[in-house]
Amino acid sequence: MKDNAVFKSRVLPWLLLLPSFLILLTFLYYPAIQAWVLSLHRSNLFLGTRRYVGLDNFRLMFTGALADKYIQVVLQTFLYGFLVIAIGISLSMVIAALASQKIAGARVYRLLLIWPFALSPAVAGTIFLFMFNPDIGSVNQILNELFGVKPRWLDTPTLAFGLVVLASVWKNLGYNIVFYLAALQNIPYELAEAAAIDGAGPIQRFLRITFPMLSPMTFFLVFTNLTFAFFESFGLIDILTKGGPVGFPPMDAAGVSTTMIYQVTLDGFGGSGNTGLAAALGNVILFFVIVMTLLQFRYGGRRVQYGDN
Amino acid sequence: MLRTLLLLLAALSIGFGSAQTSIEFWYAFSDAPRSGWIDDRIDEFNVTLAEQGLDYRVVGERKGSYRETLQAAVLAARQGEPPHLVQLFEVGSQLAVDSGIFEPIGNLGGLDASLYIEPVINYYTIDGAVNSLPFNSSSPILYANVQLMEQAGLDPDALPETFGEVMDACETIRASSVSASCITFPLHSWLFEQWVAEQGAMLVNNGNGRDARATEVLLDSEAALRVGQFMADLAVHRDYAYTGTLEDWSGSEAIFGNQEAVFFITSTADAGNITRAAADVGFDVRTGLLPIPDGVERNGVVIGGASVWLTKGNPQQELEVARDFVLFMTNAENMVSWHKLTGYYPVVDASVALLEDEGWFEAEPNFAVAFEQLLETIPNQATAGALLGSFLETRTIIGEALQRIYSGGADVEATMRQAKAEADARLAEYNANF
Repeated sequence: MKDNAVFKSRVLPWLLLLPSFLILLTFLYYPAIQAWVLSLHRSNLFLGTRRYVGLDNFRLMFTGALADKYIQVVLQTFLYGFLVIAIGISLSMVIAALASQKIAGARVYRLLLIWPFALSPAVAGTIFLFMFNPDIGSVNQILNELFGVKPRWLDTPTLAFGLVVLASVWKNLGYNIVFYLAALQNIPYELAEAAAIDGAGPIQRFLRITFPMLSPMTFFLVFTNLTFAFFESFGLIDILTKGGPVGFPPMDAAGVSTTMIYQVTLDGFGGSGNTGLAAALGNVILFFVIVMTLLQFRYGGRRVQYGDN
Repeated sequence: MLRTLLLLLAALSIGFGSAQTSIEFWYAFSDAPRSGWIDDRIDEFNVTLAEQGLDYRVVGERKGSYRETLQAAVLAARQGEPPHLVQLFEVGSQLAVDSGIFEPIGNLGGLDASLYIEPVINYYTIDGAVNSLPFNSSSPILYANVQLMEQAGLDPDALPETFGEVMDACETIRASSVSASCITFPLHSWLFEQWVAEQGAMLVNNGNGRDARATEVLLDSEAALRVGQFMADLAVHRDYAYTGTLEDWSGSEAIFGNQEAVFFITSTADAGNITRAAADVGFDVRTGLLPIPDGVERNGVVIGGASVWLTKGNPQQELEVARDFVLFMTNAENMVSWHKLTGYYPVVDASVALLEDEGWFEAEPNFAVAFEQLLETIPNQATAGALLGSFLETRTIIGEALQRIYSGGADVEATMRQAKAEADARLAEYNANF
């Protein structure tokens, strides 16, 4: 495209973009730069001190006595992110495909499936906390009736980690399903019809037609889920496990459900409060997310099929 | 939202409507009994102010947790609008001193420190000056389920007083028909600190941070290892029951209340609640001294809790009214009613005499043990408690170390050494601010 078909003036598009730019500048770019500057300082919330320390905050994280802790936190954040994205996206794709079938009450099902998205992380966390309370929770009451077991969901390292993953997947399910439902509406029915006439079964139609046709949406959702897993897991974790419990060796240097963003709040506001250290970890998260997004665009983008050619 | 708006309006009307100067007292209790008690004292004090014809009026404000209260006070002071009085927990002491927004209340004069129970005021005396006035103080004691003890064949009149005696009792319980666990307590660094102090040992170097700024957390000392070993001993036969969550006070209380453990270690401040709850379920509670490591002399407990701090930056006369309010709130009569309501120690000696006179300890023998433990505490640097800027992180590190030993079966010495390295790194990080 050489010339601009929509806008006659050169100024108008910029003018229209201006509000978004202002918001991005105030709430995203400026704080991001501030966070980078802060990460080069030792700054204490209580003392009001701020001293330039170069890369000391980064060194503190990844060398010396605290290295084990931070490396474990980074590793488990990646595992958490991978599981939340992989389980969340595949599950919501299947559910959305089922919910878009033309059956009685489909609208009601769809509405109910979208519902978890409307809950705040605090509410979602509290629901899970009650359901999985080892002594009085409904899950253990049922398990105890059926099998006579009462798993300790909140303090067994593997179970607690799994529970946080499960809660995050559930919390995001509604969001993913909304987008998949919308995308499914846009897949031309003729494609499936033609395939059916050619003798393709439902599973084959899903794998050969629906799945590839959904790939632009999957591409988008992987990215949004990635940002959720890395930036927005605090609320759920704070209510469910407070980052704990300490795992078994070699994962015993930190609480197993402590993600990087949770550690940021611990460092910044939890104890004696070095906000510089918290900012440094925040920048590490941002770095990982940027790298993964670039990788996704570089390698994932090729596989996306856009239906408009 | 509406409440905030109303508060804002109220604050504005005070500012513009009257010439009265308000003395702001920020505190951290959010429950009705304790904050209600404070409000009542404020009202009483304001009446006396009016009677004296003074144009001041104390205004109490809840500010969330201790941590949030400290943050709010620091930010307000930086903006030039400090409150007058702030209630802070003991682990925040060094942070509060370092923040520079507080004035040692003792410097103001008009304060007789000798009226206060020595080990209590000891905690808040830093560099010879009384920094803040103790308000709510407690220490841990042992609670025992009398019926379960009898069922297990143990003598409820001879409660275990050492770790060894606890382990012996645990063995008897295991061999008996009692299915309950031997002991429960919140997995909390607070108990660890108490056990270290009971041995006369320091938690941090430089005289528990009182001779000079602490630079090392002594988590691999002999005293600390004894506590770690206790957790390891309890782990062998899973004699210890807890919810699995760190610092879960109510969780352990529920375990004891449901008769799932024979012994329970927790704060004296819960004595009233626990005795009442047990009566509802139908068992008797007896209290005893905090069990301590074998072969050491009982040095006493660290009487922490919270205290009231005076901020800088307000006119002298306002500070004096503020000080007078704290002195009023912690006077002998008020501390007696505070103690009866909550189970916290009254912080002045005269209250103890008042309680004795009215026969309180005969009526409530479970409270007597708490006092015995307090009054027998030897005032020294160990029982004065540690001062360190990174106390909050250190508490988490200690809690996790104990959890590793109990739940993960980790080696005591290696775990405590690892915890020390981590705590030292955090402390060095904090100290580098100066």
